[in-house]
Amino acid sequence: MSVLRIALPSKGWEEDTLGFLGQCGLRIDRSNPRQYRARMRGLPGGAAEVVFQRATDIFDEVNAGSVDLGITGYDIVAEHRSEEDEIVVVYGELGFRRCSLVVAVPEGWVDVTSVSDLAEVAVELRAAGRELRVATKYANLVRQFLFDRGITYFTLVEVSGAIEAAPALETADIICDITSSGVTLRENRLKPIVGGVVVESQACLIGNRRELQADPERLEATRGLLELMEAYLRSRQHVSITANIQGESAEDVARRVLASGGVAGLRGPTIARVFPQQPTEGSWFALTVVVGEDVLLRTVEALRRAGAGEVSATQVRYVFEHRSWTFEALKRQLGVASPEPRVSAPLPSA
Amino acid sequence: MLGERSAPVIQRVRGTTDVLPPEDARLRRLESRLRDELERFGYQGMQTPIIEPLELFLRKSGDEIVARMYSFSHWNRRLCLRPEVTASVIRAYVDQLQGHGLPLRVQYSGPIFRYERPSRGRSRQFTVLGLELIGASGAAADAEVLHLACAGLEAVGITRYRLVVGHLGATLQLLGALGMTDHAQSLVLDQMEPIARGRVDLDAAIARVAGLLGADAGHANGAVSELPPGLASLPQDQATAIAADILSRASLPVEGGARQPSAIIQRLLARARRPDPTDQVRTAFEFVAALHAAAGPPERLQTDLRSVLEKHGLSTEPADEVLGALDLLRAYGPLGPEVEVEVDLSLARGLRYYTGLVFEIYADSNEGPLQLCGGGRYDDLARALGGREAVPACGFQYGLERLDLIAPRDDVGSRRRVLVAGVTSADHPSALSVARELRTLENLAVEQDVRLRGVRSALRYADRAGIDLVVIVGERERQEGAVVVRDLRRREETRVPLTGLVDAVRSAVA
Repeated sequence: MSVLRIALPSKGWEEDTLGFLGQCGLRIDRSNPRQYRARMRGLPGGAAEVVFQRATDIFDEVNAGSVDLGITGYDIVAEHRSEEDEIVVVYGELGFRRCSLVVAVPEGWVDVTSVSDLAEVAVELRAAGRELRVATKYANLVRQFLFDRGITYFTLVEVSGAIEAAPALETADIICDITSSGVTLRENRLKPIVGGVVVESQACLIGNRRELQADPERLEATRGLLELMEAYLRSRQHVSITANIQGESAEDVARRVLASGGVAGLRGPTIARVFPQQPTEGSWFALTVVVGEDVLLRTVEALRRAGAGEVSATQVRYVFEHRSWTFEALKRQLGVASPEPRVSAPLPSA
Repeated sequence: MLGERSAPVIQRVRGTTDVLPPEDARLRRLESRLRDELERFGYQGMQTPIIEPLELFLRKSGDEIVARMYSFSHWNRRLCLRPEVTASVIRAYVDQLQGHGLPLRVQYSGPIFRYERPSRGRSRQFTVLGLELIGASGAAADAEVLHLACAGLEAVGITRYRLVVGHLGATLQLLGALGMTDHAQSLVLDQMEPIARGRVDLDAAIARVAGLLGADAGHANGAVSELPPGLASLPQDQATAIAADILSRASLPVEGGARQPSAIIQRLLARARRPDPTDQVRTAFEFVAALHAAAGPPERLQTDLRSVLEKHGLSTEPADEVLGALDLLRAYGPLGPEVEVEVDLSLARGLRYYTGLVFEIYADSNEGPLQLCGGGRYDDLARALGGREAVPACGFQYGLERLDLIAPRDDVGSRRRVLVAGVTSADHPSALSVARELRTLENLAVEQDVRLRGVRSALRYADRAGIDLVVIVGERERQEGAVVVRDLRRREETRVPLTGLVDAVRSAVA
């Protein structure tokens, strides 16, 4: 019985990651919070092995195959990928740890607001016998970004420690670093420039191609993981609406609701008879429908037009479709044969 | 010790190829025929290193090339694998040949490297073979280079191709008249080819380039909004002082680390004076599209192309230069009946250093037109690379592997293969002297059996390896002063006296 091995990011990432996994129904067991090894429960085929590592090291661990899967930042993946690596991006957008890799210049550079200004400054410095020094930990992404925008005269500066401090310490002129709120940039008297976003990033799940291809059991456990993540992430965009509507029959209610427009739901409404404690005039029916969050108010309006009394809405925990699209995409990336997923695969009760 | 498991296989780097026999011999024959042809016109061979300082290509090769370079840092020295050869040749000229009498005619061949998506006819490492004519300007020089590009193709049997001739002067004039900065000109020139070919949407390209030039960064963003609108039109000293004062009152201290506050404020004012680049970029791209629409047979230089230039108030000199070069090209001798000549003044070539006539040569392949050759005139490159004075120059390069895809396959000049084998190991020394004698023949490759596993094994090898002739040396034949010659293609075996062996082999392989 081979066990799925997953690397999770530690340090500043840990809380967000464990929160996300918990929402998905995946629990991490470890004897104390300082342990670097743990187990993940909630997957088919038994618990998975978990190892906590720094987000920047996870790419290498997954690439080397010492773990099968890992959660890390997309910025890290984009910087470290090569054409001949063993990495597959299994789930690109896990919806947390959102940030951007941006070019930022000193606030004092009042003449620089865009990438084109930067190009001119690079030429200006060049003419003065200097080169634009860019401090970054993302050498590959930044070099390509600047080249693609016609900026060729620059030097990348390797900085140990805080990137944002480099311009003040005069070890670099500008920086390119990760930011989510921009607060750190402002505190260091730096400002982002228009068109200066190198990459938009968030947490993502990556896997080792060779390891996942080689072992159907670990691949099946991966399917379970993806089912839960996908259904949870999909559920965040959906609400379940319940409304009581008076009518002659279920068909009558359905006709009025559908005629009112905008109550499509994932598959159409479910309508059931309500049996009141006190006898009332006419019959009451309960209607339940799962709709996208973006059409919640429109749906409520439509239900009112159809004669609904109270309408309640609840956040859905999971929305499963008839198969996991992320897993299908993973199988295509791995080039593995496509056996129909076992419909009876045991999933944990939510 | 690796133990019983074999070590993992090492893959070659993506986008590179191993050139195996007999392809290598074919490529070398192709190369030598081309180089012979160029040599007959006085072009002497030279070689430059494959690794060069990164700086060499940053100066003038253009963003398209720079973005696709293999560059690296080795012990704090910034280096790259050369993405083209012309800049290296001119670097060598500036460094070592400036005293040389002009014109200087040189030719070269070797690998270049570009990090592009690999496809048929496009590897990340490929071989260019080219020439540079340094120190000559005008139609006569352009025509010599054009003629040689065509003559080389004819020398390797390629007679059906399309020669497209353009001239950068048309577009450079317009960009100059629009007052665009060098950076802006670079961005526009890089997009010329996709625009002309209709590979990108015109509006999308305008928006992209204008965006890179700061069109949508707007003046509302940043400190410019703090400055009164009329400030930019004041005399520079006054404007600078006022701007510095306003900015410090707005608690925006101008401090730039390595940049002087005065430089920052002057750029700020210069930028405020500059018009929105969108209109300039649109004018430039529409001009390029109009040039491309007017492309066609050389006669159009007299009519449509000329009127596009006149309509924009530009000199018609580029059209006249192309016309002059094409007239002289015909004076070298008539072009073949299957050669098509087209004039397209929107041709850009993707290299930033061209200044005048440029050209490309295409052949048809199963996957559409395949570019075999490209070149042009670059009169500013020597100066940009530190030359004492401007030196007019032009040149071209073939893609050798692409020529190999198109050139008719023949084995003229390839060596016939002969194997000399002894019957037993005791016959080996005599076999060696037989082989030595045979190697006096031209165009013969004489292999020696060294595995010494007997005649049957040697014949089996010869058959699989595609050897034409096997000469067998045995004890009985040795005593009789003879050998057995087996012709594997004709399936014949004859006894030949040693005295007549060379003649017999010569006629057998003829």
